[in-house]
Formats: sequence, C-alpha cells, structure tokens
Amino acid sequence: MTDCGCTKAQEELEEFLHNELSAEQCQDIRDHLANCDDCSAEHLVGVTLSTKVKEACREKAPDELRDMILGALELKATAISGRRGDASADGRPGRRSTGVR
Amino acid sequence: MTTVTLDRTGERARPTAVPFRPRRTASHRRVHTRSLDSRLMIDTTSNEASQADADELAERRRLFQEQALPFMDQLYGAAMRMTRNPADASDLVQETFVKAFAAFAQFEQGTNLKAWLYRILTNTFINVYRKKQRDPYQGTIDEMEDWQLGGAESATSSSRRSAEAEAIDRMPASAVKDALQAIPEDFRLAVYFADVEGFAYQEIADIMKTPVGTVMSRLHRGRRLLRELLADYARERGMTATVPSTTTKGARDD
Repeated sequence: MTDCGCTKAQEELEEFLHNELSAEQCQDIRDHLANCDDCSAEHLVGVTLSTKVKEACREKAPDELRDMILGALELKATAISGRRGDASADGRPGRRSTGVR
Repeated sequence: MTTVTLDRTGERARPTAVPFRPRRTASHRRVHTRSLDSRLMIDTTSNEASQADADELAERRRLFQEQALPFMDQLYGAAMRMTRNPADASDLVQETFVKAFAAFAQFEQGTNLKAWLYRILTNTFINVYRKKQRDPYQGTIDEMEDWQLGGAESATSSSRRSAEAEAIDRMPASAVKDALQAIPEDFRLAVYFADVEGFAYQEIADIMKTPVGTVMSRLHRGRRLLRELLADYARERGMTATVPSTTTKGARDD
C-alpha cells in the first residue's frame, strides 16, 4: 500500500470526488484517507457539499413549459419546410417569373 | 417546354422537352400556356420532393422530441441557476430546444446528447441573457488571486471539519441555492455542471469553451466560496458549524 501523504491528497481530493483520477491515483487517495482523519473529514465536507448542491438544484420545469416547447418546435418545423419548399422550387427548370404562387 | 415522364422502369425521369400542341397559335398565348404548363409540372415534382422532405422532417422532429425532451427538467434547473428567475429560465430552455432542433441534423447520433444540449443552452445564455444581467465579476474573475477570494485551505482539525460537514448537511436547500446564486457566474456554472450534472471536466471545458485547467480553477474556487458562504449562514443561525480559521472575507466574530 502506498500512502501519498496529506499534501498530495488534499490537492487531489476534488478530482477524486469528481471521478477525474485514474484507478491507480484513486487507490492512492483511498489508502491515505483510510489512515488520515483530517483528510477523511475534509473529504466528507466535499462529499456533503456536492450532495447538498445536487439536492438543492433539483428542479421541476413548470407544467406548461413542455407544451410551449412542443408548440415552438412545430412552428420551427413549419418554418424549415417553408424554406425548403422555396429552395427546391428554385432549383427546377421553368419560368418562375411568370408563375403565380 | 418541359414535362415529367416515366421511364421504362416506372421511375420518374428528368424533365424532357415535348413538342407544342398544334392548336395553340398566338405566340403570346403560347408563352402564357407554356409557362402555366411548366408551372403545374414544377408544382408536381416539388410537391413530391417536399412530401419526402416533410416526412423526413416529421421523423426528425419525432426523434428529437423522444430523445431531447426528457432533459427538459434538468435544462430548466441549469437555466434557473443561470437566469435566476422562472420566466427567463423557461424562455431560455424553449429557445435552447428550438435551436437544438434546427441543428439536430448535425448532431451525431450515439454521441453525448446531454452535453450537446448543455452546450447550446450555455451558448444561448451567454449570447442572449448574460448581456442583460451585468455581472460585476465578469471578465476579471479568473484573474483574481486566491487571497482575494478568501482561503479555506488552512489546517483545521478533523473534528472541526466533521462539524462543518454536519452543518452543511443540515442546511436548508434554500440556503444552498442562495449561496450558489451569490458566487460569480462562471464559478457557479462550473460547480453546477460538475456537482449537479456530473459532467467530466473535459465536457465542462467544451460546454464553457475554456481550458480544463480553467474549469478546475473555477470549480475549486467556486466550491470554496460556497463553503464559506454556508459557514457564514450556519454561524448567523447559531448552527454549530465551525469555519475555516483564516480567511480574508470580512471580520469574524470568533
């Protein structure tokens, strides 16, 4: 077992918390935490902070938002197909100058 | 004169020239008739083409709604942290979905849709909403020195840290949200993306268009500020939290 020491552990605790370390680096931190009350307590603060932030930020969109989005998507789809219709007609042979829409 | 013919295989062939009908004599009438005919034929072909386009578009819309709409609540949560009010958050999310749908043909299926949506959300927020909300920290925050932001790194005993964890754990959600709202925007977003959404640092870097090192710095500073604000809150409420002993953020009572 390798203990990486407090300085390295504290430097990397945040990355450890966010799963940014390699398996080997994680093991070093775990080994250190198992034997260091200070760093374990520091890690506990970090974990608690993440958990609380996550809980506090859980939101439910207003009920009407879904319908607003569906309506907006329908409008957008109509606008897209309108533009495409023009584009494909322009590419065709024929005399559009005399044409009536 | 052009028309659409069917070739032997029954497939639509390219428009080909056909002779005039003999009964048309007056040249002005001929021109008029010809253009009318060709217009009718153009309409036929473009109708078929636009029907195929419409089918494809409808299918794309169905797929988009099926895949992207489940992220609505999450995106709304992020939009709330960005805009700080429900009306703007709803607008921002709606705009994000419309832009994402318009660009959905470019989205590579099988890649991270959630990260892609967050990138559009963040871009839209920065381009449209951030301009409305002058944040005094903008532009200078990454250059701020650690001492200006206060230090939480000083050695404290494990029992003090345990008490701090316990106090944070007992915080009401409203206090945590207020604290998050009080820290500079770039810090807040980095914390939100990492802690709430669980994005990898590289994904956050892509979303915020900044190097990974900057993400790590924002995250570290943001979390530290948050910790201090929550410690302040706990102390004001007489909760048993202990605060990091050295800090430059205001006078301490203890």
